[in-house]
Amino acid sequence: MAIVIDKSQRWRVLAAHAFLVFLCVLVIFPLLMVISISLRPGNFATGTLIPETISLEHWRFALGIPSAGPDGQMIKPDLPVLLWLWNSVKVATLSATVALFLSTTAAYAFARMKFAGKKAALLGLMLMQMFPTVLALIAIHAIFSRIGHVFPLFGVDSHWALVLAYSGGIALHIWTIKGFYETIPIEIEEAATVDGATPWQAFWRVLLPMSLPILMVIFLLAFIGAIIEYPQASILLRSQDKLTLAAGMKQFLYAQKYLWGDFAAAAILSGLPISIVFILAQRWMISGLTSGANKG
Amino acid sequence: MANLQFKALRKSFGDLEILHGIDLEIQDGEFIVFVGPSGCGKSTLLRCIAGLEEITSGELFIGGQKVNEVPPSKRGIAMVFQSYALYPHMTVAENMAFGLKLAGHSKPEIAAAVLRAAQILQIESLLDRRPKALSGGQRQRVAIGRAIVRKPGVFLFDEPLSNLDAGLRVQMRVELARLHTDLATTMVYVTHDQVEAMTLAHRIVVINQGRIEQVGAPLELYHHPANRFVAGFIGSPRMNFLPCALVSATEAGARVRLEDGTVLSAGADARGLAEGTDLTLGIRPERLLADTVAGEGTAKTSVIVAEHLGDTVFLYVRAPGGTGQLTVKAKPENPLRTGDETHLGFPAKHCLLFGPDEQTLPRIS
Repeated sequence: MAIVIDKSQRWRVLAAHAFLVFLCVLVIFPLLMVISISLRPGNFATGTLIPETISLEHWRFALGIPSAGPDGQMIKPDLPVLLWLWNSVKVATLSATVALFLSTTAAYAFARMKFAGKKAALLGLMLMQMFPTVLALIAIHAIFSRIGHVFPLFGVDSHWALVLAYSGGIALHIWTIKGFYETIPIEIEEAATVDGATPWQAFWRVLLPMSLPILMVIFLLAFIGAIIEYPQASILLRSQDKLTLAAGMKQFLYAQKYLWGDFAAAAILSGLPISIVFILAQRWMISGLTSGANKG
Repeated sequence: MANLQFKALRKSFGDLEILHGIDLEIQDGEFIVFVGPSGCGKSTLLRCIAGLEEITSGELFIGGQKVNEVPPSKRGIAMVFQSYALYPHMTVAENMAFGLKLAGHSKPEIAAAVLRAAQILQIESLLDRRPKALSGGQRQRVAIGRAIVRKPGVFLFDEPLSNLDAGLRVQMRVELARLHTDLATTMVYVTHDQVEAMTLAHRIVVINQGRIEQVGAPLELYHHPANRFVAGFIGSPRMNFLPCALVSATEAGARVRLEDGTVLSAGADARGLAEGTDLTLGIRPERLLADTVAGEGTAKTSVIVAEHLGDTVFLYVRAPGGTGQLTVKAKPENPLRTGDETHLGFPAKHCLLFGPDEQTLPRIS
């Protein structure tokens, strides 16, 4: 640290720190507020950040633990929050896996192969992704209700329908992975080809292992996207026991009564699978997997 | 073990033709070097042999079999890439075993082959490492090892030494030469470094703008270049070229006039060309004489810079009557210094003449 520093530098550093602290507070505040609401007795959205009395009633509700009613009888919560969470995790894992498989292979074709209409197809993918899914909700419902007549497994009110719907939104993933593939020198796959690998072997045994970090990022993005998605889940799922957490939580908020406390507890629960998947995926999200292949 | 045969091989990318009809035969066990300036098509030609590029027209035979439509893995070739192109997620041993594993060889068989190749290249101690943990020279060895284990009929090298530093390059060059003696397999080597070409090759193929300029043994190319391009490309420092005009031509030699009016004789047969035809005179730096006194057929000029390298002196002199400069490779005892006046001597039997079509005129020895 022998570099000579201008005096005004100190103030600039101070200002930068102040700004960053402000930013942190801004980001963390909503999370703290939600935790606070979930621990507060009654269903109030407003109040102090640190609750005066702590009540676990909302958590009992969210976790499905029976609690004593006003008349002393044990009442089981009427909404299956944990089942919804499980549904969310199931749909998200499946759809993220399918999306990963489709987008890695599609991106390989776009990055490495020559075919007619490649540019148009890439642009088309991008354009289609630009329209929000909400605009197509009616169409999606119509399509899946039709499909349901032929393949009941993929009809409305089935998790498979939701998996299929989510797996379609991979245009951005394809672009991202394609960009990553293009940073990997093609010589490595050519070496594999000369070594006797088929295009599939070169892809599966050479390119994919080098692409692990981006695969993990895409899996995580697709997983998060599926956990927090509401519009499609709300129209494709109907039965109480099939709902995902995001779709089910709507039932806490009906016109006469907003169950803010229960809602907050469930919201924190929905963050759990995301955090777990992130922690698991993180160890693979490392740079430098291709180092050593070339001169470097 | 395989020979190669090219018949009117052409390669185009879209409308752009890169190789304009290559005809060449490479004998079994030969060490052939493709050399040429950047973008001349030498790497493309190598990739055509490997099957990484489709051949647009013409035919390619490897070991007598036409391979135009044969995929790389079935051509009996192995390739060493300029960038090494090792598999970064595999250990050295796995890198070398990859091809054999794909071909379905048994585990003990693969292990034995990998160990044998590692011994040849002295990398046994590195087998468990990842490419990341290797130095440039070691990576290059692994890349060569990966080629050796497959026991190919033809080795293809695409500028394998260009990423190494100067010292390592010399060392690997010697090892490649030794490797070729040991394996006696056909090797095709692409480089733009004419020193590598001169030292390694049995025969050199000089390529320029998608055409073969000349094929021959290194010294044959050095002493008897077919045209001005080969003369200028082979040899370092490069040959000196001076514009001149034909004065007279007999069966004993030709007399030419340099731009400053000096008339000198060259051991070339220029009969058939009209008097006054514009020619180019070529002379290698070690054949050009720089003296302090004038003599018969010498040209007066001055030294721009003298470089003393200990065993030699490079004198950069002004081209007589022209604007360019010539290089003289002189003995260390040459007294000339920067700025001195000098008289250049052109020994007739070392003077090459290039006709208006840039082809070398026949030599008279």
